[in-house]
Amino acid sequence: MIRSFADMDRLASQKGPKRLVVLAPEDEEFMLAVRDSAAKGYTRPVLIGDREKMERLAAAVQFDIGGAEKIHETNRQAIADLGIRMLFSGEVDIAGKGQIPTAYIYRAIIREEAKAGKGKVVSVISMWDIEGLEHLTCFTDTGVNITPDFRAKAEIVRNAVFLFHLLGYPKPKICVLSGKREVNGDIPSYRDFLALRKAAAAGELGVCEVMEATSFIDIFSPGKADFSLAGTDIGKTDFPHIMIVPNLATGNILVKLDFALKNVRRRSLVMSSRGPVIIPSRSDFRDSILGEIAAGVTVAEQIKGGAAS
Amino acid sequence: MMTSFDQIRKEASAKGKKRLVVAPVTASTDLSTLSTAMADGLVFPVLVGGGKAAASWVGRKRIPAAHLEIVDEPDEAKALAAAIDMLKKSTAEILMRGDMDPGLFLGAVLDREKGLLKQRVASLVSVFDPPGVNRLTMATDTYVNSFPTIVEKVTITENVIRLAGVLGFASPKIAALSAIEQVNPAIPSTMDAAILSKMAERRQFGDVTLEGPLDIDCAVSRRAATRKGVQSAVTGQGDIYLMPNVEAGLLMAELSVFIGKTPMACALMGVSRPVVLSLPFVPAENRLTEIALAVLLCGRL
Repeated sequence: MIRSFADMDRLASQKGPKRLVVLAPEDEEFMLAVRDSAAKGYTRPVLIGDREKMERLAAAVQFDIGGAEKIHETNRQAIADLGIRMLFSGEVDIAGKGQIPTAYIYRAIIREEAKAGKGKVVSVISMWDIEGLEHLTCFTDTGVNITPDFRAKAEIVRNAVFLFHLLGYPKPKICVLSGKREVNGDIPSYRDFLALRKAAAAGELGVCEVMEATSFIDIFSPGKADFSLAGTDIGKTDFPHIMIVPNLATGNILVKLDFALKNVRRRSLVMSSRGPVIIPSRSDFRDSILGEIAAGVTVAEQIKGGAAS
Repeated sequence: MMTSFDQIRKEASAKGKKRLVVAPVTASTDLSTLSTAMADGLVFPVLVGGGKAAASWVGRKRIPAAHLEIVDEPDEAKALAAAIDMLKKSTAEILMRGDMDPGLFLGAVLDREKGLLKQRVASLVSVFDPPGVNRLTMATDTYVNSFPTIVEKVTITENVIRLAGVLGFASPKIAALSAIEQVNPAIPSTMDAAILSKMAERRQFGDVTLEGPLDIDCAVSRRAATRKGVQSAVTGQGDIYLMPNVEAGLLMAELSVFIGKTPMACALMGVSRPVVLSLPFVPAENRLTEIALAVLLCGRL
């Protein structure tokens, strides 16, 4: 079981290098992360983008890309299409977003999924490694679906369950988050929780369990009238592996609180049916992008090893 | 400008005792914070509800009879109505939730005819005192309105600016949050944030700087914002975060408390008199600060 990002980094070192296609590494932070991932033995990169820009940036960060495969392409959609096609054909193990809007990549994944007859809902899974918690957790969907309905959320759950099975969690616990509280009655996300709980019980979401909790107070202070900050210990909670966010705005705000909180770190990816696509935020820096690459290498290795079967 | 919960409590203590009415009081009402508030000289309590329960608490705590009042009204709804009436007639200054479900309590408090609603909508402001940082930040609405319209968001913004003024923020920096920092018609909260931002630019909220839409990384980290090409006085310096909906607001507040271990106290705004809700997601350690916030709001709503 992969319990932390440190486990991922270790596995990436041991099982790398994997073939990583980088979509438009035309920014210094991305190029630095790709350089470091190659140096650590995580990846052998294939670079798609503006050749002149890539070569200039690589030289600027002292990254020798002479031996790396480079494909010159400046059209953003063409870059995404080509890279994702390489992932689906098995030419590479991982695809990674560079300086390119995510919408192009999502579009390319949806097309390839359709061709492969999978028709999967594309969703971003943002993992968190929280100090004091003995396992990984994640928020999803944090990137694609603006206001997912029950059907979309069911697919979002399946994608995340697939990932957690790969990471060695045989029956991940799921918390369907909701802003339901004592006022204003039920809201759609709470009705989705009730429906997803039923679907999980009927075995429709894969091997997983939907918890009774829909908020952090339910997780940390279930059934109690009072709690104290000093007495709160995440290690003593029944903390979920997967948290389904009610909508995109909520998901984005929650998952990027790592910018404000000192005790959490984040790594995001899309689980396509053929492998991981890592999705660093445009505001991420070299170290976090490198971490995301390690996550991609780990997942690619687990797929190869048949960990989810 | 107040920069910590300690300072809020000190400033409140200096205001002199305010008459705080708790309703409804029952045998299971937790009055422990009230004891501390009395000891700190913040309040003179009026307990409305089961007279025996109140008297029993007073006896256990050995509180001299002259230090509080008890009004016997065993019916919980009537006890709350009587308490609200005291505030309307200015025989009490602060209302505090006793032993009643927050939904029922708020329903009575925000009743347009019989309650204390003053503005178009009421909204909850969560005030944070992040560890190791010598400044307060606020987020709103974290409880009352589920999916506020732009019209309601305007009032929610005015409500939090009023609280910021009471806390001494002369020219607060406000981040209107959404999923992304670009205006995208497919994501309505980006449009709302852009409208609020334009209204602020035209000085419709007074002396504030309001930027939106911002995603949370741009809002809390100037370095991240710079990397995304967002230039604003608000990035990395925000005093106030306007949340796109209650799911984001409530869950962000809870996450900051439970995982970030961030002290948080809340204030209900948009009402004519201070109301202490004592909501379940407020840490026990910070309930006294909520009373202190209410004391500071007396006469300023």
